Amino acid sequence: MHVVVCLKPIIDPEIPLADFRIDRESKRIIQGNANLVTNIFDENALETALQMRERAEGDIRITAISIGTSSSIDILRRALSLRADQAILINNEGMPELDTFATAKILAAALRRLAPIDLILCGREAGDWHGGQVGSFLAEELSWPCATFVSRIDIDGEHFIMRRQTDDGWEVVKCQRPAIATVTNDETNVPRIPKVRDSMMAFRKEIPIWNIMELGIDVSAVRDAHVTLQLRDMYIPEVNKRCSFIEGEVGKEKAIRLLHKLREMHII
Amino acid sequence: MQNVLAILVPRADTVGRAEKEVMGAAQRLASQLNGQWAVALIAPRACALSRQVLVCGASKVFVVDHPELVEYSADPYLKALEGVVEVAHPHVCIFAGNSIGLELAPRLAYRMKSAMVIDCTELQGVSGGHVQITKPVYGGKAETILVAHNPPVTICLRPRSFEPLNAVSETTGEVHRLTIEIEPSLRRTKVIDRIVEESSDAKLEEARIIVSGGRGLGGPEGFLLLKELAELLGGAVGASRAACDAGWAPMSWQIGQTGKKVAPDLYIAVGISGASQHLVGITRAKTIVAINTDPKAPIFKVADIGVVEDYRSVIPVLIEELKQESSA
Repeated sequence: MHVVVCLKPIIDPEIPLADFRIDRESKRIIQGNANLVTNIFDENALETALQMRERAEGDIRITAISIGTSSSIDILRRALSLRADQAILINNEGMPELDTFATAKILAAALRRLAPIDLILCGREAGDWHGGQVGSFLAEELSWPCATFVSRIDIDGEHFIMRRQTDDGWEVVKCQRPAIATVTNDETNVPRIPKVRDSMMAFRKEIPIWNIMELGIDVSAVRDAHVTLQLRDMYIPEVNKRCSFIEGEVGKEKAIRLLHKLREMHII
Repeated sequence: MQNVLAILVPRADTVGRAEKEVMGAAQRLASQLNGQWAVALIAPRACALSRQVLVCGASKVFVVDHPELVEYSADPYLKALEGVVEVAHPHVCIFAGNSIGLELAPRLAYRMKSAMVIDCTELQGVSGGHVQITKPVYGGKAETILVAHNPPVTICLRPRSFEPLNAVSETTGEVHRLTIEIEPSLRRTKVIDRIVEESSDAKLEEARIIVSGGRGLGGPEGFLLLKELAELLGGAVGASRAACDAGWAPMSWQIGQTGKKVAPDLYIAVGISGASQHLVGITRAKTIVAINTDPKAPIFKVADIGVVEDYRSVIPVLIEELKQESSA
């Protein structure tokens, strides 16, 4: 069985607000000292694949794939050190920023090249733009069934059994093979840390680099084939709050003052 | 861009707040664009539900009622939506930002070759008949203004960011029942089990007071204290993603980018450092109280009232005081 996990390299969204800067002219985040990291939900997706492999019988091969510049190699290296079997980088160096349609077209072309595939996993959304589209677009592009907000997958003959989050709990869905799942986080798929030995092994592996032209995708033609949005502005929203701290010697004193204050404000 | 379609996929037997927010956004956008708005209602027993939509002032409700729609599954629902779109010719499609909306919207957008935005917090018709969308990015650290110059555009609303549309005195709208062929073979995923989590879940998004815990609680037992406090205050319990990931609280308590977006009058954040992904979920809280041992925690940047202290010496006192009062 062959599972492909799509990993998006993003500028670390958890950098402190004080270091977070925007170039208003180009409407882009200034990377500064921030690291390129794997989108957290994509890490959950890889973890979900690794756990599925551990529970299953038989061979399961895991491929990690990213679209990015050569600096994204580290993200794929990390996936290998978590024991993905192979990793592929689709180089977009020098290309204009890809929108979700273009991303899905490029990934789909790469996935066709990696066939046969039984399962494709993507994070539910990325921590930079929160697009929440690529997994669903891939399902449409390939005409495969798709389950969203999944956190656990098991194999059941020609089907997958997937546990997915709903607004008020969980559903277990049975899904035909091949399938796509978008992965969300829960207590069961917290990403693991690579072992030192595996990290060393990962450095010996070669990561093939494919380019977009080779995949037969004309990014500007893709862009012209659907409606696009204009990014008019990007800014850091102002927070005008000033916190008033409750003073006191000990916890008890502060607790009682807090209660008084909330009463004064007629909140409780 | 004159035709605005509010797409409602309610799971319960009532048209709830999420659906009313979608209608509110659609109605206001249509009036700014000097256009019309209509409703697509896809649900089991949609005809019965259509009355609840009409009393909100919709002038046109497209209803698809089909045996294949009794159990929710994306594939047959998408087929039904495609049928509505063919008749309604929408320029703008608006979905709720719940799990069903977030699943259907991108796939419909793909089929319509539509531009697509999730997590929209503001929506406005601007000059030239264009649609202007506000959307936070980077976990709320930044905001973007996006403009759709050409139709169609598909939008998922951030929950509780739009005023719901409420009942009007006179209903003049009409229901268009569409007959759409939906093959059973379309259904490629099947629900075999469903678990509704024991939680203050339904209450969380409607709660007036929320007591919420994070990694700083140090373990699951901290939530017992929070639960007791919440009960005394008549509120609900929430949790940060870190606390849910650690398994200390059920996933359905999670507040933040990937959890619930809440709008209580009082939000008490206990042992929550304030990662941006959490703060996104509480931007609509009226008053935020933060209790944390670290005075530099980012939560204090958004809090109205701060208590720098170990919660273990604060929460039990609050509980004790509130108990004494209620018994006095």
